[in-house]
Amino acid sequence: MSILRSNRTTGPSAARAVHQLVPRLAWGDAVGNQARYLRELLRGWGYASEIYAEQWDEECREQVRPAKDYPREAGADSALLIHHSFESRLVPLVARSPGRKALVYHNVTPARLFQGFERKVAQACTAAREELLALRPLVECAYAYSGFSAEELVAAGVPHVSVLPFAMDWRAFDTPADPVLRAELEDGCANVLFVGRAVPHKRVDDVLRVFTAYQRLYQPRGRLVVAGYLNRETPYGGYLHGLRDALGPERVLFLGRVSAAQLSACFATATAYLSMSRHEGFGVPLLEAMHRGVPVVAHGAAAVPETMGGAGLTTLSRDPVEVAGLLAVLERNPKLRGQVLEAQRTRLEELGQDAVALRWKQALLPFLEGTLEAPRTPEAPASVDLVCPALGPHPDSDMARLALRVAEKLGRARVLTLRPGIPSPRAAPEVVQDGGIETWRFTPDEPLSREPSAELPGASSLETAVVGSPAVPVLLGVDTASARELLARLPSRTWGVEDSTRPDSSRAEVRRLLDTRLLELKPSSLATTAARLAGLLARTGDAHAR
Amino acid sequence: MHAEDLLTTSPTPEAVAAEVAALPPPPPEALEALRRKLESTEQAPVEREWPPILQAPRNKKDSRYVEPATSHRPVVGPVLVMAKRAFRLTFQPFINEVLRRQVEFNEAILDSLATLYEHQQVQARTQALWRKEMEERLARLEGRRD
Repeated sequence: MSILRSNRTTGPSAARAVHQLVPRLAWGDAVGNQARYLRELLRGWGYASEIYAEQWDEECREQVRPAKDYPREAGADSALLIHHSFESRLVPLVARSPGRKALVYHNVTPARLFQGFERKVAQACTAAREELLALRPLVECAYAYSGFSAEELVAAGVPHVSVLPFAMDWRAFDTPADPVLRAELEDGCANVLFVGRAVPHKRVDDVLRVFTAYQRLYQPRGRLVVAGYLNRETPYGGYLHGLRDALGPERVLFLGRVSAAQLSACFATATAYLSMSRHEGFGVPLLEAMHRGVPVVAHGAAAVPETMGGAGLTTLSRDPVEVAGLLAVLERNPKLRGQVLEAQRTRLEELGQDAVALRWKQALLPFLEGTLEAPRTPEAPASVDLVCPALGPHPDSDMARLALRVAEKLGRARVLTLRPGIPSPRAAPEVVQDGGIETWRFTPDEPLSREPSAELPGASSLETAVVGSPAVPVLLGVDTASARELLARLPSRTWGVEDSTRPDSSRAEVRRLLDTRLLELKPSSLATTAARLAGLLARTGDAHAR
Repeated sequence: MHAEDLLTTSPTPEAVAAEVAALPPPPPEALEALRRKLESTEQAPVEREWPPILQAPRNKKDSRYVEPATSHRPVVGPVLVMAKRAFRLTFQPFINEVLRRQVEFNEAILDSLATLYEHQQVQARTQALWRKEMEERLARLEGRRD
């Protein structure tokens, strides 16, 4: 341990200590609550435990130590849990800190969900994914709160990934309701509630659309209550206010930031909780609504189906009229509502504090005692990554057939695609060996559409697998969400094949970026294109080898 | 709502889908008009101006910077302007630091005022609706009495 120790009186003890590092310790957000809960758990197990952060809310001043002090205050017998959910710029600090390290991954929102609204936040999300790859060699193991997040960690090559339940402090939800707000909301209207910051990926605009449909078609005396920070200065804040005026629903309340008592009043008067979020690493408000006896209707994107665990009404549909129908049946059918609430209570029993604490202890013990096995040396990696999202959902498409032909010809290539069917929890990509072709199937970030012509959703884990691999990426179809993301992140080493029959507004930009590395697929020339692409890639591989 | 789009165990997806199908069908023209409106907002983002009452404070919220110095005085003016500009140029980083908290406060209070304004608008609309409903009821009652 360094002799240049902090002169604070509450410094970490010389005994084994388990600390946590967060970019920002905030009051009331999921990462902050989780860090505080884990600290109490670790202290209860007899470890010295502190939270280190680079920034913090004023209310958290007493709970935090500056991140810059960690390398000095930690010793070889210290262990560090690094919470990662956004760009932190803390990787160099982690690298020079002594002791063992593990990653706690809360998931990073895909940058594409901010595009058109928050360019800087989108860039920060991409940087956060780069940091995830940079942390890979620094950590011994990683913990994720959902199989969805764990899949990305495995795709990134992080060793020893475990899925753990989100530890909830249910007592924090027992604050008495604010009487003034409660009286205001308890006026006989059917209150539909959404809790969360008004940011693009939470799709508060879709909540507004569903509510408009609900009010127009089923419940004229409905009210929408949105509790969470809303900044009108941001493009998305302005968009939401404009959208409300354009759609014209009555009784829409944007409450902004609310106190714990006001939040209790919102839940106490809610008829239903509605979430149309396109990305959740876990989704704490969904469980909070369940705990407070409010039936939940949620769009099943990212980790939401896992969090819901079959309780509530999770829908893969984004059609506002269809989702409004779910709100209507919950309000009109007491028997169905009772069944939903019963299922939600059963779901919460699985997340009891004692059971969660025990699972955390069991999962952390090998890391804290240093008994984790050395990670296996990976087999010889593929030299080419054939990225064909269409193969899983549309195996008969031209691009899917091209992917298989090229993989056959190349030998040392793997095909990366989307996992078709209903999203089900998995903690790793599904790897299938068929006819000598290795296919990796990844969970899409959003449910696949039933419309065959609809654009395929992106898959963050697929993109992380490609960016983290030394193989040459080949985009079979350059007009998919994942292809656009990979083109932006790996413009100089990516190859692509475009489908000349599909309309694509970004074609000129793709051609400029890829130039001679872009081939065209015509329905009549599948065999020729496959042979040409395989030949070109084989030569590129040889050049790499030399 | 298709049962295969629902991920629920209890009640079953089929039961929920059947309940949704049993809802009274909305008038086709109302449904069509709603769908048209929803689709029209799926396109380009809809921007909206700040409430006019808050435009003036919003323009003045960043107290770190001032209008460029000017002067109408023939000889002393340019000297004063140059001195003021030199002062600003030299001390702007310090001015920024001194007024940083003030700017943060200004932004926060503007947000709160905007929220209050929105609430007042919602309340006004709700009251107007309520008054309209009451007047209609009253008219019906009076109609029955006559």
